[in-house]
Amino acid sequence: MEDAVRAVDLSKTYGTGLAAVKALDHVTLTIARGTVAALLGPSGSGKSTLIKALGFVSPADTGEVFFEGRLVVKHGVPLADLAALRRRHLGFVFQKANLTSFLTARENVEIACEFGGKSDGRRRARELLEYLDVAGREHSYPEMLSGGEQQRVAIARALANEPSLILADEPTAALDSVRSRSVMELFRKVAHDRGAAVLVVTHDHRALEVFDVLYEMEDGRIRPHRPERSGLTAEQ
Amino acid sequence: MNLALRDVRRHLARFVGTAAGLGLLLSVVVAMQGIYAGMVDDATILTRAMHADLWLVQRDTRGPFAEGSRLDPSVEARAAAVPGVRTARPYTYQLIQREHRGAVMRIALVGLGWPDDPGRSLPLVRGRRLQQPHGEMIVDASLGLGIGEPLVLAGEQYRVVGLTRNALTSGGDSVAFMTVGDAELVAFDQPPEAALLERQRVVERLRRTDLGRGQPALEDLATDPRWRAPALASPPVAAVLVEADPHRIAEVRGVMRSWGDVSVYSQAEEEELLLVGVVQRARMQIGLFTVILTLTAAVIIMMVMYNLTLEKTHDLAVLKLMGAPRLRLLGLVLQQAWLLGAMGYAVAFAMGELAFPMFPRRVLITETISLVAPVATMGIVTLASILGLTHVMRIDPSIALEG
Repeated sequence: MEDAVRAVDLSKTYGTGLAAVKALDHVTLTIARGTVAALLGPSGSGKSTLIKALGFVSPADTGEVFFEGRLVVKHGVPLADLAALRRRHLGFVFQKANLTSFLTARENVEIACEFGGKSDGRRRARELLEYLDVAGREHSYPEMLSGGEQQRVAIARALANEPSLILADEPTAALDSVRSRSVMELFRKVAHDRGAAVLVVTHDHRALEVFDVLYEMEDGRIRPHRPERSGLTAEQ
Repeated sequence: MNLALRDVRRHLARFVGTAAGLGLLLSVVVAMQGIYAGMVDDATILTRAMHADLWLVQRDTRGPFAEGSRLDPSVEARAAAVPGVRTARPYTYQLIQREHRGAVMRIALVGLGWPDDPGRSLPLVRGRRLQQPHGEMIVDASLGLGIGEPLVLAGEQYRVVGLTRNALTSGGDSVAFMTVGDAELVAFDQPPEAALLERQRVVERLRRTDLGRGQPALEDLATDPRWRAPALASPPVAAVLVEADPHRIAEVRGVMRSWGDVSVYSQAEEEELLLVGVVQRARMQIGLFTVILTLTAAVIIMMVMYNLTLEKTHDLAVLKLMGAPRLRLLGLVLQQAWLLGAMGYAVAFAMGELAFPMFPRRVLITETISLVAPVATMGIVTLASILGLTHVMRIDPSIALEG
C-alpha cells in the first residue's frame, strides 16, 4: 500500500543544558494509506511532539519527513509550503473537538472544504455530516452540540479535503466508553472506506482492537506495541 | 465564506454594542472638531456678513470686536467723499444682557447704517430687512424670538422683522441688527435718575464757568430734556464700513491710512484680528483637545480590536492549523475593523444629527469634516487593527493541539 507519510530519524529537544528534554529520539515511522494506527504512551513521552512534526506544525530538529513519497521537511527546514500541505492533504482531530465557535456545524466542515480548494463545499459538508450521522445538527453552533456530536463534526471537518493523512490527538478523552468506541470505529471506517492513513494518539485502551497497528512511545522513543500488521512499520 | 461576517453574526449583540460605544466616542471627536470649526466660523461670520471692503476703526486699535473702538461719526462723510468709494456706512457693536420672558438673554447689538444698509447682506432665513429707521430689528434665530415678537430695550419696544441663522459672535452670543440710531439709543440709555443727576452736573459745571455765570439762561437749556448742547459731539460709532470700486481699493486705503484718527483694515485683516486676537487661545485649546481626543479614540479602538482578536486566538489557531491562508485570517480582523468603523461612524453621524443642534455652542460640520471624518475613521480603525493583525501573525497553530 502507498505510504501517506514517512518519518526518518526524527529528533527534537526542548530546552538546553541540564534542562534539556529529548522529546523525540531518533523516531522512524511509516504510515500507509488505508491504515489506522494508534500511538500509545504516558504523558510526556513525546506523542504530541511527534503529531506536531508529522502534521507539519512544529518540525523536528533533525531527520526527514516524506509526504506521499516527496521529501517535505529536512532537518527542520521546510522544503514545501507546509500550510498548503495541511490545507489540502491533512486532517486534524483534537482532544476537544476544537470547532470554530462562530461557525455552525456545516460551516465548520464547509470552511475546511474551501481551504482545501474543493468546489461545492456546502454539498460536500452536508454529505459528510450525513456520513457521520450528525446531518440533523448542521445549523447548530458547537456549544449547542454534545461532546460526541462535536467530535463527529470535527471528524467530518478532518475529512473535508479528502486527506491522505488524519492525525487525531486523544480524540476520545472527553467521551464516554460508548461514544469513544464509536469514534474509534469511525476512524477505522474512514481509513478503510476512503483510503486515508489515520494516526490516533490515545490513552484509551478500551477499543484498541479497532486499530490495524499499535505504537508505543516512551522517553521520545517509539516501538511497536503489537506485532506488525499490514501497512505499518516501525523502526527504532 | 466570509469569516468576519460569520463572527459578527454569532456575536451580534456584543458587536453592535461595541460599535455603538465606538460611535459615541467618534461623535465626541466629531463634535470637538465641529465646535472648533464653529468657533472659527462664528468669529468671522459677523465681518463676512457685513460685506465691507475696508473697516475704518479708531486709530491704533484693533476694534471693534477685539477691543473697543470709538470713531467720530464725521468719518463716515469723509470716507464717502474719497474718490473710488461707493458707500460708507457707520457700524456700532455692543454686548447687552437683558431679561426677556423670565430668561437672561445675551445679545450682541450691531448698528447698521440706515438707510444705506437695511441689512441687505444678512443671511435672512425668515422675514424681511429693516424698513423703518426706528423700532425694528433683525435677530438670530438662536435667540428664540419669533417674527413680530416685541422686545423692550431702553424703554422702547422693538419688533422682530427678520431672522438670521448662525449670526453669532466669537463668544457664541446671538447677534441682533438694528439701525445705528436705535443701537445708540440702547447704548446710551439712562434711567431717569441718572439723567437728572447728569443735568444737575451740567448746571454745576456751567455755574463754575464764566459762560454760565454770564448767561444764566443756559442753565434753563441744560435742564430741558429736549435740548442738546451744539458743542457736544454726536455719539461715536465703532467703525465705518467702506465699499469701494474693486480696482481702486488699494488707492482708497492709501488715502484713508493718511488720516490721523483711523486705522484701516481689509476684510481679511479684520477676520485675522478676530481669529488671532479674540479666539486664538480658545481655538488652540479646542484644537489640542481634539488632537488628544482623536489619539485617545485611536488607542481605545486599537485595544477593542486587539481584544476582539485576542478572544478568537484559539479559533484562529485551529483555522491556521487547518492551513487557512494567512490573508483570510488577516482579512477577518481587517474586515471587522472596517465594519466596526463604518457602524461607529453611522452612530456618530446619527448622534450628530440628533444632538449637535441642541449644544449650547454651535457645532459646525463643515464639508471638510463631512469628507475627512469617515475617511479618518476608516484610517484610524485600519491602523488600530495593527495590534490585532500582529497577533494573528504570531498565533502558533500548535496551540490548537494543546488540550
